[in-house]
Amino acid sequence: MKIFFTVLIFAIIVFSVGAQTKISGKITDENKNPLPGANIYIKDSYDGVSSEANGSFSFSTDVEGEAVLIASFVGYLTFTQKINLDGKDKQIDIVLKEDAAELGAVVISAGSFEASDEKKSVILRPLDVLTTGSDGDVYSALETLPGTQQVGETNGLFVRGGSASETKTIIDEMTVQNPFYSSVPDIPSRGRFSPMLFKGTVFSTGGYSAQYGQALSSVLVLKTQDLPEKTISAINIMPLGLGGAHTQRWENSSLSFEGGYYNLSPYFQIQKQRPDWDKAPESFEGSMNYRLKTSKTGILKAFSSYSTGSLSLFIPNLDNIPQKDFFYQKSNNFFANSNYRDILGDDWTLFAGYSIGIDNEDDKINSDVANKKDLFHTGKLTITKNIFSNTFLTFGGETQFLDHSSSYNNLKGSFKETYLAGYLETDVFFTNNLAGRIGVRAERSRLLDKTNIAPRLSFAYRLGKFDQLNFAYGKFYQTPDPDFLLYSRNFEFENAQHYILNYQYIGENRTFRVEFYYKKYDDLAKGTVFTYPYFNLPPVPFGSNGSGYAKGIDIFWRDQETFEHTDYWISYSYLDTKRDYKNYPTLAAPPFSTPHTFSIVAKRWVQSITTLFGATYTFATGRPYFNPNNPEFLGDRGKNYNNLSLNASHLLSIFGNFTVLFVSIDNVLGFSNIYGYNYSSDGKVKAPIFPTSLRSVFLGLFISIGETNPYN
Amino acid sequence: MRLIVSFLLFVLFIGSSFAQDKYVTGMQSTLAKMESCKTPNDYLKVANGFERIAAAEKDKWLPYYWGALNCVLACYSDSSNTTKDLYLDRADKYINKADSLKPDNSEIFTLKGMIAQARMQVDPMNRWQKYGAEANNCFTKAMQADTLNPRPEYLIGVGLYYTPAQFGGGPQAAKPVLEKSLAKFDLFVPKDELMPHWGKEQVEQYLKMISESK
Repeated sequence: MKIFFTVLIFAIIVFSVGAQTKISGKITDENKNPLPGANIYIKDSYDGVSSEANGSFSFSTDVEGEAVLIASFVGYLTFTQKINLDGKDKQIDIVLKEDAAELGAVVISAGSFEASDEKKSVILRPLDVLTTGSDGDVYSALETLPGTQQVGETNGLFVRGGSASETKTIIDEMTVQNPFYSSVPDIPSRGRFSPMLFKGTVFSTGGYSAQYGQALSSVLVLKTQDLPEKTISAINIMPLGLGGAHTQRWENSSLSFEGGYYNLSPYFQIQKQRPDWDKAPESFEGSMNYRLKTSKTGILKAFSSYSTGSLSLFIPNLDNIPQKDFFYQKSNNFFANSNYRDILGDDWTLFAGYSIGIDNEDDKINSDVANKKDLFHTGKLTITKNIFSNTFLTFGGETQFLDHSSSYNNLKGSFKETYLAGYLETDVFFTNNLAGRIGVRAERSRLLDKTNIAPRLSFAYRLGKFDQLNFAYGKFYQTPDPDFLLYSRNFEFENAQHYILNYQYIGENRTFRVEFYYKKYDDLAKGTVFTYPYFNLPPVPFGSNGSGYAKGIDIFWRDQETFEHTDYWISYSYLDTKRDYKNYPTLAAPPFSTPHTFSIVAKRWVQSITTLFGATYTFATGRPYFNPNNPEFLGDRGKNYNNLSLNASHLLSIFGNFTVLFVSIDNVLGFSNIYGYNYSSDGKVKAPIFPTSLRSVFLGLFISIGETNPYN
Repeated sequence: MRLIVSFLLFVLFIGSSFAQDKYVTGMQSTLAKMESCKTPNDYLKVANGFERIAAAEKDKWLPYYWGALNCVLACYSDSSNTTKDLYLDRADKYINKADSLKPDNSEIFTLKGMIAQARMQVDPMNRWQKYGAEANNCFTKAMQADTLNPRPEYLIGVGLYYTPAQFGGGPQAAKPVLEKSLAKFDLFVPKDELMPHWGKEQVEQYLKMISESK
């Protein structure tokens, strides 16, 4: 019986309701702001409560003895504290620390514009890139951002006083040697890569990471899509040509093919052209994309694209009017990039990639023949390690091999360059409000037989919930353009130093950003190259004694809130730049620069007719042009540039397939823009450089097959 | 002695069923609180309640499931886009835990699809392509995992209802899918009172709206 009682007492103790403990207090962040809705509870019991609007909480628990009190809230590190539940009321004030890995932490962003779906505080979305600009070209969309110059007659992005070759395009971490279709003088071509390929874009106008090099002014970092969501086909019908694509999706892999044929001849029949075309541009292009998910975190990407095109036209010979020179061009471009990315263990990230580019361009000018060939290999390996909480170390190496050859009739030149680079960079969150990226890049050029070391620094300091201050400094090196290396190897690396100070506010629907910069150029390559236009200037010997500077202010404002269904952004760039390079006799503002550039982009979605309307207005002051009759080198200024373009994307359904009808009109108001002037050798004849047509119209029907509801 | 042993066994039995009861009653009382939820904060409080149960019952997927659902409901009852994404981040966290405890479950796939739908609605212009496809993938998997689950079709139907006709949506496109869902609801019996059982009234409501608008 004694045992029985013992058991009974034991049972009573087990099931008796013990004394309750009441726990109350207040929960705040480190700045004493109350955190409403936090979850406060006793570990392994159900006892707990959510905090009130003023951060206060109070609950009772039946648990007795040693226990653990937990407080958790999204965006904050979970709080735990041992607590002795002895039936006496407890008053506990809890302070939660922010989790830097979560939203709201300071972001390193000096100098860059980022478009991404995945991150929250970015200035643009990938769709913005797609629906801005008149022709679905990544580059023309970026020209609506501050820091870029409007240079309508030449390919490329001209950033903050830099020439086009100072901006490098990087696809999945690999540099693309020639991202544009070949072009003829004064008629630019488009970017070769469709914006649809990319899920993320970082456009850096300066002060970028040590992971990138060989660009004095700017890098455009494009990230390709991961596994596509589903199997889908597309047909694109335009007056300019036909295109098609198919994507097949399997559980862990996908394969896409895309191809197109474009011929501008029918369009040129309708739209009056200023150039005297013999054969309108015609091109074929094809690309293939393979994705394999190798594990939960690993992805293998392989991408290749090929295009071939030809055109011919008559160009007025200013030395012998009315004679015209016949110009014919045929080009092939091939680019392939395969890369693998994975997370190893808990804190290692690995990236390995290889890419190859082959570009071939044949030109005929009357009876003269010119050819240009590039073979470009790149290999890159980058490793990132989370060394301790909030500190990441990135290191890696890159090698580039360029085999360049060009010929003009019997004159032939070629060179082979091997370039090696290593980089080390650390991202540190000193506090939740202060982050820094400190890096260094070392580069070696075999051709120049030179080595350089480039430090890079970027800091971000958060002022409030939505705004921060950024600062960046960096030194950037670039091997002189191939045109120079054909003549001489006796060059230094060209280099530039960037100083950037930026304030930005990224609110829910409004963004404001102002950036001040100063850029100092040194060791720019000098020398007279026969392809370069300033023919009748005195010859300049080859050397690295060029220099220059650029300084200015970039302002960006975006507002998606004030007007319903309307999104607009305004960019303004002020630029003061001068340089002495190539065959310049003196320091001068280059033809690809102008003091004031302003643009406004507005978009409005009209639900009732499922159409997105867009308008872009751009104004730029006149750019310098070379006038042999003016004793002041580059002392003349062209006309101000004005352009209003409109576009509309109408969404509709054709035989149950999701379809976009896209129309855009460039220069709706018919401003007569002049990009600059060409002169005859004796300086007596002056011919303006016009856009290829007064207005241009782009029309397209893009049908997605399989983009419908599959459950009907 | 026999008496003692049997009593001891009885105590143990009571004890274990008491623990079981604690889970069931804890869940039931938290589920009951959902009825009176109106504001995002109400739903988040309930989600906190489920999180507390989940933290104590380490092998149970249902507390996480219901926690995630309440975060989605908080999202639907809010108007600020920034906070909506925060709620859905939380929903993701919960549903992924549920998924790791109970893989290939039709209800979990359904809720993942619902989260994707909610993500899409925060910014349809930019997100429909990604999250629309993701939602459909989830619903397809949900229907494969349990052909009798009425909820995937309910959500597909609602998605279609609000999709413009140009995208292959609209009330008339939604109607047959919602009818299919309703037919499955009529046959659906949840295994116990803690299992997901929501949706039938809403389907009936949508069907009523469609027939009235005709």
